[in-house]
Amino acid sequence: MIDKMKRWLPWAALIIALAFVPKIFGIYYMNFFITFAVFAVFSVSLNLLLGYTGLLSFGHAMYFGAGGYGTALALKYIWNLPLLPALSIGILSAVLLALIVCPLVVRVGGTAFAMMHMAFAQLLYVIALKSRFITGGEDGLANFRIPPFSIPGVVSFPLEGAPANFYYFAIIVLGASLWLMWFFTKTPFGQIQVGIRDNAKRIDYLGFKVTHAKAVVYIVSAAFAGVAGSVYAMFQNVVAPDGYLGLLVSFTPIINTMLGGIASFFGPVWGTAIYALIEEIIFRYTDRVELVIGIIFVLVIMYAPLGFSGLMLKLKFKWMMFKNKRMRQAA
Amino acid sequence: MNNILETKKLYHDFDGLQVLFDVNLQIRKGECHAVIGPNGAGKTTLFNVITGTYKPSKGKVFFKGADVTGKSPCDLCRMGIGRSFQITTTFSRLTTFQNIRLGILSKKGVRFNFFTRVDKMEDITRETDELLRRINLIGERNFPVSALSYGKHRALEISLAMSTDPDLVLLDEFAAGMSRDETHNAVELIKKMTQGKTVVLIEHDMDVVFSLADRITVLHRGQILAVGTPQEIRQNQEVKDAYLGDLEVSAVC
Repeated sequence: MIDKMKRWLPWAALIIALAFVPKIFGIYYMNFFITFAVFAVFSVSLNLLLGYTGLLSFGHAMYFGAGGYGTALALKYIWNLPLLPALSIGILSAVLLALIVCPLVVRVGGTAFAMMHMAFAQLLYVIALKSRFITGGEDGLANFRIPPFSIPGVVSFPLEGAPANFYYFAIIVLGASLWLMWFFTKTPFGQIQVGIRDNAKRIDYLGFKVTHAKAVVYIVSAAFAGVAGSVYAMFQNVVAPDGYLGLLVSFTPIINTMLGGIASFFGPVWGTAIYALIEEIIFRYTDRVELVIGIIFVLVIMYAPLGFSGLMLKLKFKWMMFKNKRMRQAA
Repeated sequence: MNNILETKKLYHDFDGLQVLFDVNLQIRKGECHAVIGPNGAGKTTLFNVITGTYKPSKGKVFFKGADVTGKSPCDLCRMGIGRSFQITTTFSRLTTFQNIRLGILSKKGVRFNFFTRVDKMEDITRETDELLRRINLIGERNFPVSALSYGKHRALEISLAMSTDPDLVLLDEFAAGMSRDETHNAVELIKKMTQGKTVVLIEHDMDVVFSLADRITVLHRGQILAVGTPQEIRQNQEVKDAYLGDLEVSAVC
């Protein structure tokens, strides 16, 4: 009983802390936290491919964009669409896109996989730019209605013009997505997934179909990228090619993941937080945020290839060695 | 039908380089069959063609009487063929336990399961631990595989091939690079693990071959030079000329 409480205590503390964030930081910083939540989901979804299956994608933005555009279009043209269906439409558009692309991309790996995604993402970018009658071209879609966050007949919180409410919504989405993805990596299928990363050939010889397994991971990853895109669209109330399908959108989660550590599930979450913090601080001094981030990225790759969580693990190990030594000296 | 595996007029070439010529291999059910021959004789290619890595250029492979030519490694594994590799092919960042568990999951047919936590599947855990105990790796249960000694790593490689409980096991130079003790342990392991199974092995260590094999096939330049019991092979003049040499044979005899 006490053991159980001990296990739940940190989580309870975390939830309470998260609940008080709007009170402590004020409304101005809500943007910061909401963006963090969205990109944390996006980065972890990318890490399902990169860290867990060993597939590097240079075009994960296509699913982020699909989610964003899907939700924006649905909200624009379907009258009085509630929140969850709007979110689901975003996810479904990402999944649909993944279903179209995956028969082709799961057969390749490595560089081909990465570059093919860059090509597909750029193709989608151009399509979004050119088909003005649907996507609004360069201006994108804006000013669609944001449905309230509600349980019908019980409560209803407006999300439009209420950053604190949107913050709670984004945090709930983050929590649910993280839990689902974490569970996904813990299933028997998750084991096959890490097996593919380590040795796809042996997985084949053990009687698992590698391409099918890759396809499933791919679609799940796309779905969660879609979640992130969809929430981001509702948050910004605008979708445009550059912010949703651009190259930078594809590379942000990669940088997040590398900063935080690809070898750990929560690494990308740390990485997103670090990235957001650095961005926030650098912006006060210069506009050239990417320059500074780039330098930090290079340093991380050179000196801490496993990122923040790798560093933490190393520190923990050193601390344990130190404690051991002290204990031995005492004895 | 007492041939579990049969190849009929098997040919294979790599873009014009002929590696296998008219190989008619017959493996009887329950025997331990060694494939020996000098380097470049086509032994590993033969394994690759049988287990589905390559499609043969010509000819057919029959397993348990069914034509399995050109089937994928995955399908063949599900039909009951297990294979180990000359170059250790394990999941290096997973623990010993997780490695073997993947085999057990495959054996149990647990593949696309998204709704249970694998750590909480007690039957899988129990069976994995049982196997780890049998192969003497229970002490290294939670080590990442990259931290294992060479001999233990090779033992894991062999066990991984047998973890899916196949009827036919193909072992590609399992003793490569092992010390004498390690080789001895590996031979004991194989004897213990393959009871009631059919084994085909490629091996250069003649002590190992003569202590394990019931029958031997000698492959030379992609062709079968001789098939027979160890005794017959030792006395075969062609084999002596091509591979064993006189000195080695007298030492073995």
